[in-house]
Amino acid sequence: MMKKLALLLCLVASPALADFAPPITDPLTKAACGECHMAFQPAFLPARSWDKMMANLADHFGDNATLAPDKAAHIRKVLAESAADGPQGGRMGHKILSRLRADETPLRITETAAFLRKHRLPESEWKRPDVVTKSNCVACHKTAEKGIYEDD
Amino acid sequence: MSPRVEFTLLRLWHAALAGGFVVAYVTADEDTYAMHVFSGYWVLCALTLRLALALIGSSSGPLRLPRPKFTWAKPGRNPLFAWMAALLLPALALGALTGVIADGVPVAEDLHEAIAEAGLWLVIAHGLIIAWIFQGRRIREFLTGAAALLAVGLISLPAWAADPAIAAAYGKEAGETLSAARGEALYLSKNTASADFASCSTCHTPDPRAAGRHAKTGRVIEPMAASANAKRFTDAAKVEERFTRDCQTVLGRACTAREKGDYLTFLMMK
Repeated sequence: MMKKLALLLCLVASPALADFAPPITDPLTKAACGECHMAFQPAFLPARSWDKMMANLADHFGDNATLAPDKAAHIRKVLAESAADGPQGGRMGHKILSRLRADETPLRITETAAFLRKHRLPESEWKRPDVVTKSNCVACHKTAEKGIYEDD
Repeated sequence: MSPRVEFTLLRLWHAALAGGFVVAYVTADEDTYAMHVFSGYWVLCALTLRLALALIGSSSGPLRLPRPKFTWAKPGRNPLFAWMAALLLPALALGALTGVIADGVPVAEDLHEAIAEAGLWLVIAHGLIIAWIFQGRRIREFLTGAAALLAVGLISLPAWAADPAIAAAYGKEAGETLSAARGEALYLSKNTASADFASCSTCHTPDPRAAGRHAKTGRVIEPMAASANAKRFTDAAKVEERFTRDCQTVLGRACTAREKGDYLTFLMMK
């Protein structure tokens, strides 16, 4: 009976992997990206997008996010590794890529076709005071930091 | 076939099906896709086998798949068994079949995921019902024991402390005595360089001991004051990085060494 229950608990505890994107594990990258916003999972954008973003941190969506050059280079490498088209992009990367045109280099995850397809929500949801902006994943997806977007 | 043999067959079959489902569920990620496909077909085979077993089972034995009823003809089996089979078997079959389809037609992926997810909840409900039917009292004992375990234990946190040497270094660079009052004035000052970030207090709130919120991203920001956040001002490089960015953002210019020293003095004393 204990074994049965243990198995059951394992099942409940195992993350639902369908809407999963592997989170950043590199400590430097996690700290640098996660300082002002959630450290978005790299699989949500292709490597060309991350490259473009890392090349212009002084104007990071209107904010100055400058990093020491050696730090930035390291982070760029980490991001490319797990980017949608990187070797660690996983299934989420595959989904993002499949809806992306080859000539597209999106900088905002919230403007990718894959994101839009899953977020056809009434305007009132986006206007909720705790949401602030579409990129505030954790406002609705409580486990977004861990890469789990199952809930809403 | 004797009921004993039938029960053994049923248990073996159940283990094969449950095992297949669990493996399929946890290998749903892309990097274990081959295993996922294999276990999916395994589940499909197990379900087909179940229909075959129902045909060879005796008419009143456990391998039969009876039509579910709302009435309980005691001393017969609990009608919940038939209901669970009637729900679970088609649900898992649907999950497996849509999986086969999704393997070739990616559009069917979402449907497959939704059915598999629903299937998991059916399995959990199934497990709970079975556990309750057979082991109700022991479950209640187990749950109270688990609750007691959860109530135990505190995690010790690493000790951090703001480093006054970081402020002192800026003071030395400026060649002036630092002032917490000037630091506070800078913290609260309203500026015009940025429409989004008029002041430090825009995100960090007027009280640096309170948690703030990034005005654009909505990200929660831990308190600025050293008294409220032991991790603040422990790393000189980090401090300088923040000054480089945020002075430019909020003031539209770099901060002087004196300003940085004042600012840190204020927040370390606060």
